[in-house]
Amino acid sequence: MRRGGRTRRAPFRTAPSDLKTLVTAVFAFYLFAGIVLLSGAATILSKNPVHSVLWLILAFFNAAGLFILLGAEFLAMLLVIVYVGAVAVLFLFVVMMLDIDFAALRAGFVKALPVGLLLAVVLVSELLLVAGGSVRVVAGEAAAPLDGFVGMTNTQALGSVLYTKYLFVFQASGIVLLTAMVGAIVLTHRQRAGTKRQDVGAQVARTPASSISNVKPVSGEGVSL
Amino acid sequence: MIQLLVFLPLAAALIAGLGNRLIGNLPAKLVTTAALFVSAALSWTIFLDIGLAHGAGYSVRVLEWIVSGDMRVDWAFRVDTLTAVMLVVITSVSALVHLYSWGYMDEDPDQPRFFAYLSLFTFAMLMLVTADNLVQMFFGWEGVGLASYLLIGFWYKKPSANAAAIKAFVVNRVGDFGFSLGIFATFVVFGTVQLTPILAGSAAMAGATFNFLGAQFDVMTTLCLLLFVGAMGKSAQLGLHTWLPDAMEGPTPVSALIHAATMVTAGVFMVVRLSPMFEAAPDALTVVTYVGAATALFAATVACVQTDIKRVIAYSTCSQLGYMFFAAGSGAFGAAMFHLFTHAFFKALLFLGAGAVIHSMHHEQDMRFYGGLRKSIPITFAAMTIGTLSLTGFFFTSGYYSKDGILEAAFANGSEASMVAFFVGALVALLTSFYSWRLVFLTFFGEARWGASEHVQHALHHDHGHDTEDTTDSDHAHHASAPAGTGGYHPHESPWTMLAPLVVLSIGALAAGFVFHEAFIGAEGGTVFWNGSAVFREPLAEAMHHVPAWVVWTPGAVMLIGFAIAYWAYMASPTLPARFVAGNRGLYAFLTHKWFFDELYNAIFVKPAFAFGRLFWRGDGRVIDRFGADGAAALVSASSGAAKRFQSGAVYAYALVMLIGLAAAATWVLRPALLG
Amino acid sequence: MHPTFASIQIAAPELVLTIGSLLTLMLGVFRGDRSLVPLTWVCVLIFGIAGVAAATGDQAAAFGGLYVADGFSAYLKVMILAAAAVSAVLALPYLQHAATGRFEYPVLLMLATLGMCMMVSANDMLTLYIGLELLSLASYTLAAFHRNEARSSEAGLKYFILGALASGILLYGISLVYGFGGSTNFETLSATLRGPAGQSTGVVFGLVFILAGLMFKISAVPFHMWTPDVYEGAPTPVAAFFSAAPKAAAMGLLVRVCVEAFGGMTFDWRQIVSVVAIASMLLGAVGAIGQTNIKRLLAYSSIANVGFALIGLAAGTVEGISGVLFYMAVYLVMTLGAFVCVLQMRDADGKPVETLSSLNGLSRSRKGLAAALAVLMFSLAGIPPLLGFWPKFAVFTAAIDTQLYLLAVIGVVASVIGAYYYLRVVKAMYFDEPAPAFAASDSRVNAGLIGIAALFCSPLGMLAITPLVGAARVAARALF
Repeated sequence: MRRGGRTRRAPFRTAPSDLKTLVTAVFAFYLFAGIVLLSGAATILSKNPVHSVLWLILAFFNAAGLFILLGAEFLAMLLVIVYVGAVAVLFLFVVMMLDIDFAALRAGFVKALPVGLLLAVVLVSELLLVAGGSVRVVAGEAAAPLDGFVGMTNTQALGSVLYTKYLFVFQASGIVLLTAMVGAIVLTHRQRAGTKRQDVGAQVARTPASSISNVKPVSGEGVSL
Repeated sequence: MIQLLVFLPLAAALIAGLGNRLIGNLPAKLVTTAALFVSAALSWTIFLDIGLAHGAGYSVRVLEWIVSGDMRVDWAFRVDTLTAVMLVVITSVSALVHLYSWGYMDEDPDQPRFFAYLSLFTFAMLMLVTADNLVQMFFGWEGVGLASYLLIGFWYKKPSANAAAIKAFVVNRVGDFGFSLGIFATFVVFGTVQLTPILAGSAAMAGATFNFLGAQFDVMTTLCLLLFVGAMGKSAQLGLHTWLPDAMEGPTPVSALIHAATMVTAGVFMVVRLSPMFEAAPDALTVVTYVGAATALFAATVACVQTDIKRVIAYSTCSQLGYMFFAAGSGAFGAAMFHLFTHAFFKALLFLGAGAVIHSMHHEQDMRFYGGLRKSIPITFAAMTIGTLSLTGFFFTSGYYSKDGILEAAFANGSEASMVAFFVGALVALLTSFYSWRLVFLTFFGEARWGASEHVQHALHHDHGHDTEDTTDSDHAHHASAPAGTGGYHPHESPWTMLAPLVVLSIGALAAGFVFHEAFIGAEGGTVFWNGSAVFREPLAEAMHHVPAWVVWTPGAVMLIGFAIAYWAYMASPTLPARFVAGNRGLYAFLTHKWFFDELYNAIFVKPAFAFGRLFWRGDGRVIDRFGADGAAALVSASSGAAKRFQSGAVYAYALVMLIGLAAAATWVLRPALLG
Repeated sequence: MHPTFASIQIAAPELVLTIGSLLTLMLGVFRGDRSLVPLTWVCVLIFGIAGVAAATGDQAAAFGGLYVADGFSAYLKVMILAAAAVSAVLALPYLQHAATGRFEYPVLLMLATLGMCMMVSANDMLTLYIGLELLSLASYTLAAFHRNEARSSEAGLKYFILGALASGILLYGISLVYGFGGSTNFETLSATLRGPAGQSTGVVFGLVFILAGLMFKISAVPFHMWTPDVYEGAPTPVAAFFSAAPKAAAMGLLVRVCVEAFGGMTFDWRQIVSVVAIASMLLGAVGAIGQTNIKRLLAYSSIANVGFALIGLAAGTVEGISGVLFYMAVYLVMTLGAFVCVLQMRDADGKPVETLSSLNGLSRSRKGLAAALAVLMFSLAGIPPLLGFWPKFAVFTAAIDTQLYLLAVIGVVASVIGAYYYLRVVKAMYFDEPAPAFAASDSRVNAGLIGIAALFCSPLGMLAITPLVGAARVAARALF
């Protein structure tokens, strides 16, 4: 979604001279970014998985805040509604219902931790090096707004490309979701023998002839149907 | 014609192999044998036309095969004198061996498979010798390797046969590795794998060098040595020879065809075929000479102490191949091919004769359980004697012309390596004579000693009705008062299908040298005969006629001395060998252990390789365990508690490995930035 | 015509697969699991139609540069569709025996195939990612298809977790490249990266991440760890599928990304690809020694084979790429053939057995099967008269042409080591004391498939070299 992401009407671009807005924006950025990082770490580190999910929700909220700072209010709302409202809550239910042996999980985690930390340090330091060394290459050229989207809200902008320019990948994403759905059904859905369920078709198809029979009961002998 | 010649054996192999049980024994045998006889007839026609009537060589393109970038490989048959000689050898011996196998394999339950393999082998061998490019030659090269593997392991129920088959395959892979590197390198240097441009361009490349790791190397020498490693593997030269004696586990006709007359000579053929390349690499020729001489000496010494009749002949083959190589190394490519040609006749004869002996002795192969057989199997005895005469170079037999030619050429060449080879060759001639006559004396003369043989006992007591001929013989033996040492067993002569090839080969072993020596190695005849198909040094051939008289007489003299020693040790004074062995324990052990080559390889290569495999097998598990994974165990006992365990361990370890790889790659590509 | 309609026409194979998978899903939902057999054949038919569409359709970029149909994608699509069709058919007897004859199997197979077709036609990081995800999701489900068996569930879960990690790595790489290179479109990227942006360490860093993500799918070392476990745990037909079509698709994708998008950075990726190729060849060859389970053995075999194919990519020339394509085509046949043979390994009760020792003495009880498997093993070992040798030869030649001598030499060494364990299988079948005999063949179709594969790998298959190499060259040229 490269264009969608770029339709920024953020204070950075529109009013760089407005010192108060700038300070607020910078402050908000570091606040949101800091909380995202902290809550991300807490998601991994907290002992109770329910707490993990709650930390994750906090991370989502703050990420949404970052999107708002960028002027991408549509994506921010999506994040809150879809990820927080649906996905994370579903996670929460699943985690609460499952019986997981957390001690065993953590044993593996601790064993892998030293190597993992070392790797993290290596990769992060390299990344810093990359970011530090390359900013000047990008600055100025990559951030230009695109023609044709100036003056649109980004909901509008997204809508205008989703079914035209990105039709192919958009539809393909649909297929991906369908596949996930089929997969989930294949792996978990099972027909239990002996359960009674309503069969609307059969109910509708019933006729008086098939449902009613006339019997003449003889006293003292009962009826056989 | 050439297409028919080459593809007939393939067609026959397919019919016999795919038909197998469906078509039965007799049709399979008929088809393959008939195809081979037709091929042999065609080969002789080509030989007469190209070799003796000096027709022009030609090349027949069958199909475009591989086109990849600069590389074009056609499937084509190159027919010239060199090819014609090989065609004659291969198809003639193969046809006779097919016929011979009718008798030898008569009781085997799996005959169609055997004949299919034989024909398949013949096809692959024909592909090898008709190749007009290196890739096609390599194709044939691997094909004969495969067929050899299948045939050595033909009796797959015998563990020793399996081990021998695998050994042959593995040792040959070492040689093939050199050969394939040689082909790659040749392609890099010449930009083609076609023989014609390579051979034509070799002279111009002489002396060119390339830089490798800072040192200068001669291009042609490197190429030739790489290719020669391939030849060493296939022709069982010292270092890569260990498979050949073990290959005797295969049926005897196979030994005669593959391990005497044809496949093992492929290395010699390759060196001669590429003789212009070797001519441009004098250092490589020196190596070839030394390797050949060393092999000749090594194998001849070991042959002197072998007791298995086939192994004696196998080491003899190894030794004779050494002769061919040092002839080639001395520049006498014609002499090398001539010895290849005559050797095919007399060595096939010896092997088939040995097969006839083994057949009549119920698969007893130990010469210590023979003795006095000349009266029971006179025709075999005559054939073996002729083969031995020819092998030892008795006057005017085939071997006499070819072996003398080689020794004279080595002397006439005059270089240091060739002189060493000459003296080694003379010594080896003596040893050859000794062990060959030892074989004859032990087998055919003296007292009968087979009473103690398990195979013969087995035949007497358990195999009644197994074979009609046997039954009559043993019954007869029980009635007559059996001579001492026979155990009541009376050996019988083999059927005509086995004797006929012996007779034909005997004629070849006697006469081939006299008839063809002028054409193959004569000073005038050679140039015309070879007609550019291989390098023929006319001055060298001329010089061979002007060597001192003592050089001419040396081979004959040492041959007689060897005969005399053998007679003395095994006829006149039979206790001598035992006394000699008692006096020289160390030497005897050294020879019976074949110079300790197998033990050496076992220690250097085989054991570490197994240890390495075990390390990875066990180490793998340990590594994963160390990362906290009991994944492997969980897999095995998946039923209980797997659900809990697999999530924790293995996946962590796997993910870690991935991330380590990622971090390593990232660090590597970023090293310019990291290092400033 | 409206550009969207033109684009849809160009993407006809994907369209056919989409509609086909939805149709079969519908039919399956209403008709239930008893429709497995007809649905499988419908699925094969749809693969066939898609294959024809791919081979004969227009070749152009579509959907505003998100998608491209060219010679390269056509070659790979035909290969993928054929392999997927075979994977669908060979599973039938297995699924029916195992009482997991669920109709979703062909549906998921089609969805995975749709993903693969998108992958090889990807001309943009977005398409690449979506295609890869589609394939992955279907694959995870397929790996766990035997949901009542712990081994199968474990395989699915492991694959899923590691696959998710690989996807994450890939996405991270894509965002880095987008950030530093300014585009996700391959052509734009290619043009940008030939300029100063190509020198940026950020792009190089992103490239490494993208390569790592893609190499997970082709199971190249060190991203191979999942392969043996997943092959062993997943149902055998699924393992057969994994070893074939997805490998070709991911390899095609990797080639396109390297050659097209990062064509200006050959120097950077060649080093990584070379090292990975060497590690894969050696580990594949050495790791297989000591395996006792034939599916694990084949997993290591596929790791080694991917290593060999990567040699061609490391060369980076037309010859090299056509070598890769040739290699994958031959490898597909060999691996599918070997897996169909594994499917024949069932004890007297019809239960699948997977130990190598159960193959002992097979030549006596099942001559044809033993012979076919022997041919396939010899071919996998790369012994010259058989077809498996030629693609190896092609990639080695390409490596030598580009002065990658070390790569070629190690390749030869690895193939020599590898020959050992392939021959061990042959030895077990022909020379060892017979193990209990297998149940009789249960499917004429599968017997036929084995025969075809063996025939293709036999020296007769050399007739196919010329057309195959010709097609591969045409396909490879499309990238340059």
